Amino acid sequence: MSSTFAGTSESFLRKGRRMLPPVVRGLFWAAIGFFVVNTLVSQALDRTPFAPYVTKVSVTFGWAAATCGWLLGLGAWELVVRPYFGKPVEWEVPNDWRRYFMMSLDHKVVGLQYMVSSVSGFFIAGLAAMLMRLELMNSSLWTFPTPNAYLSTVGIHGTIMMFSFGTVMLVSGFGNYLIPLMIGSNSSAFPRVSAISQWLLPAGIITVALSPILGTWTTGWRGYAPLAEQDPNGIVFYYLGVFAMTLSSLLVSINLTATILFKRAKGLTWNRIPMYAWGILAASLLNIIWIPEIEMTFILALVSNVASLPLFAQIGTPLTYMEVFWLFGHPEVYIVVVPAFALWQEFLPVMGQKTLFGRAWGVLGLVFVMMFSGLVWAHHMFTNMRDDQMLPFSFFTEMISIPTGFAFLTSIGTVWKSKLRLTTPTLLVFMSMFNFLIGGVTGVMLADPVINLQAHDTFFVVGHFHYTIIGAMVFTFMAAAYYWLPKFSGRMYSEFWGKVGAIWVFVAFNCAFGQFLLIGLRGMNRWVPVYPPYLRNMNFEISLFAFLLGLGFLFNLVHIVWMWRYGKPAKANPWNAKTLEWQSTAMPGETNFNPPPEVLTGFYDYSDEQPVWKPESPVEVS
Amino acid sequence: MLDLVLFTIAWIVGSVLLEWLFHALNQYGTYFYTASSQAVDGEHAVAFILTILAPVIAFVVVMLIYNFIRFRARAGDTNLRSRHQFRTNKLFIGVWVLVSIGLNLLFFVHPSASALEQMFNSEQARLNRQDLEVDVVARQWQWFFSYPQYGISSAQDANGNATLYLPVNRNVKFVLRSYDPWHTYDPYIGVIHGFWIPAFGLKQDIIPGETRYMYVHTSKVTSYDVNPMVRVQCTEVCGPGHPYMEAPVHVVSAGDFQTWVKKQLKLQSD
Ligand code: HEM
Ligand SMILES: [Cu+2]
Ligand SMILES: [Cu+2]
Repeated sequence: MSSTFAGTSESFLRKGRRMLPPVVRGLFWAAIGFFVVNTLVSQALDRTPFAPYVTKVSVTFGWAAATCGWLLGLGAWELVVRPYFGKPVEWEVPNDWRRYFMMSLDHKVVGLQYMVSSVSGFFIAGLAAMLMRLELMNSSLWTFPTPNAYLSTVGIHGTIMMFSFGTVMLVSGFGNYLIPLMIGSNSSAFPRVSAISQWLLPAGIITVALSPILGTWTTGWRGYAPLAEQDPNGIVFYYLGVFAMTLSSLLVSINLTATILFKRAKGLTWNRIPMYAWGILAASLLNIIWIPEIEMTFILALVSNVASLPLFAQIGTPLTYMEVFWLFGHPEVYIVVVPAFALWQEFLPVMGQKTLFGRAWGVLGLVFVMMFSGLVWAHHMFTNMRDDQMLPFSFFTEMISIPTGFAFLTSIGTVWKSKLRLTTPTLLVFMSMFNFLIGGVTGVMLADPVINLQAHDTFFVVGHFHYTIIGAMVFTFMAAAYYWLPKFSGRMYSEFWGKVGAIWVFVAFNCAFGQFLLIGLRGMNRWVPVYPPYLRNMNFEISLFAFLLGLGFLFNLVHIVWMWRYGKPAKANPWNAKTLEWQSTAMPGETNFNPPPEVLTGFYDYSDEQPVWKPESPVEVS
Repeated sequence: MLDLVLFTIAWIVGSVLLEWLFHALNQYGTYFYTASSQAVDGEHAVAFILTILAPVIAFVVVMLIYNFIRFRARAGDTNLRSRHQFRTNKLFIGVWVLVSIGLNLLFFVHPSASALEQMFNSEQARLNRQDLEVDVVARQWQWFFSYPQYGISSAQDANGNATLYLPVNRNVKFVLRSYDPWHTYDPYIGVIHGFWIPAFGLKQDIIPGETRYMYVHTSKVTSYDVNPMVRVQCTEVCGPGHPYMEAPVHVVSAGDFQTWVKKQLKLQSD
């Protein structure tokens, strides 16, 4: 059976010819690419004394070749290269499990692929966090052989969490799957782009996770120069891995932006656009604006590193790296959290069966957070500024809490006097709002320069940003996973175990990270495997709760995976939602809407029973 | 109406409880240990923000709990939808927007701008003519403290470890540089460090190639032995030795400081 998305006519399917499974072919081509180019560079073009087989320079080029081989092998050869030279697209996607192991043009398949890659990243980086917490149970070095090993682990944790999970799960994962459905389209705008970009993500995760092969690196996820230039070669894989992961996000954002702009169903006017689509639009625009900026920075840093230029060293300008990193780095955190805000406003009207309150303010909030986010970067650098230089950044940082507050405004107004069904997603959204409140209050405190100068680079900051990222984004992601599980799998989770899982992570999370805030004020600084003994007891306790949290995430994962297969069959629209994704029963590999829908009213009005859509009547060709 | 009244009562109770909690926290010392006027500025700022925000935090938290309990769908309720369907409430939104703008402007004026002024007051030229100057050099992974006014080139304890002595109730001007005194010819060797004394309540990054200043006003006699927060700690990751970049600090009376200076000079001449 061939998929409707293959875009090939039967006559092109050369039955007799066999192809390696795409993943195997990708690995094979990647290996060839690496060995050919690496050998060429290290043995011929750029031979160094003693001719080591792998050098900084050769590994950079070898990696690039390997990544190209990987993508071509997975399908870019048939989907991009051959069509470019005028050949027809010959890409047959079998309609079974194999479609998940190759490039696919179905946005639902791509969404699931992204979710799996992203969750894998989360657990790999989570394992790193567990090792860090194990080390921190003791005030001297005991888990890791050297401080370098610990610091590499911190960097791997932060990098993979941010670039493969935080900014990816809700945008590339849920976004790819749901946005076309929610706007009544049968595909994304550029299906081949997302097909390719998904496979950059695992490449990036593996690159960063394996970076210690080349040598440890001590900078953490920010890769501050000039320290990075001193580091052994592992830092090269940090740059390259982040490049692959951010490129993946950039491509998805271009695709989703175009999808939202141009692929909306008939009648889906601007003031009917779903909240989640607004969130994705805002986050995508941030990606489109800032990812090229950070990629240029990383390319400069990489060149500076492999070619030994002094760009960011003392005779260059060390501060420049910091500035350009945070110029991207702050918008980055809104890429993480804006989709989560949008999801609160997506789930609460459904769960309370009540009209969304102050919708325009909700949208305004998302858009203004997006716009302000470019004005605040230097609040990460107050320790590099004096006196009144800090004030503008302090000002905008405080002001950003106003549009952020609108997400609370609409959510609270929506549940007031609703008939709230206390399901697992509801519970998780409420927890998420509580956590983000803490994240926001500590954020306002950090925006105050006087407090910032004390709390900067301590565990207070680490607590603050984990409250915003885990507290808001991860909890909302879990809400989304439970909410859409019936959509993805046709099966329902267990309400009881879902709530157990939610309460478990909520308690463990607050007990662990609440203490991060306190221990930071007590003098615990960052990036230290070794610390003064007076902080040991508190660290010990934090670690116990952190392990509990890790197990809690694992528990939820097992529950979801289990229910995906064995849960009770769910109704087509179990929550009685009005949004379009529930009006289609298409599973991956099937067409979403046939005929396409025509939208009649907004999706968030629960005051009447009028249908929100009707099948579009066949167009009269005149 | 009933809901409004009940909620308001719960909100007030919540605010009072939270105010009490924050007050207790401040009594205990939000910063745990403060030994400079700058640290006290920071502590006041935290106290102010928390005091003002307590009712706001209470509003959201009580709202979440109240909604969750009071507006839950009951089992056996056949009609899924709520009777109350409204899209907006001008009064609520108006108050919300105005209050959030007002609070942020307030925080910007105080504590942000005002406390900042206060914290950097010691930098004012007219106030710091009598400053004690301490030259701080950070290298990977060591601190050096020298006192040019006293001719101490590198303050050390009996074991040869760097140590910092400061007189109490004085303005201290730290001159911060990052380079390797033993490899001054190598401009690639310096990295970014962070100069922090937790009990003093502020820090500054030290950037290779730049000379920076940080002022504090010591406010009590104390030392690392009294409280481990009275230490110099590097806060910007600077390689594997980063956690070991710490040095004890002693804040002593003017007399003890003179004695210490003499001892250092003697050590140095030996
Ligand atoms: C299982 C829960 C988690 C635990 C126990 C945990 C713990 C930690 C710890 C102990 C640090 C080191 C702080 C330091 O010394 O600077 C850290 C850093 C960090 N974490 Fe997590 N974390 C968790 C989840 C996450 C998640 C979900 C994200 C983002 C999606 C995240 C992002 C980061 C980042 C960006 C850093 C900074 C790394 C750096 O300094 O380079 N963490 N985390
Ligand atoms: Cu920021
Ligand atoms: Cu350091």
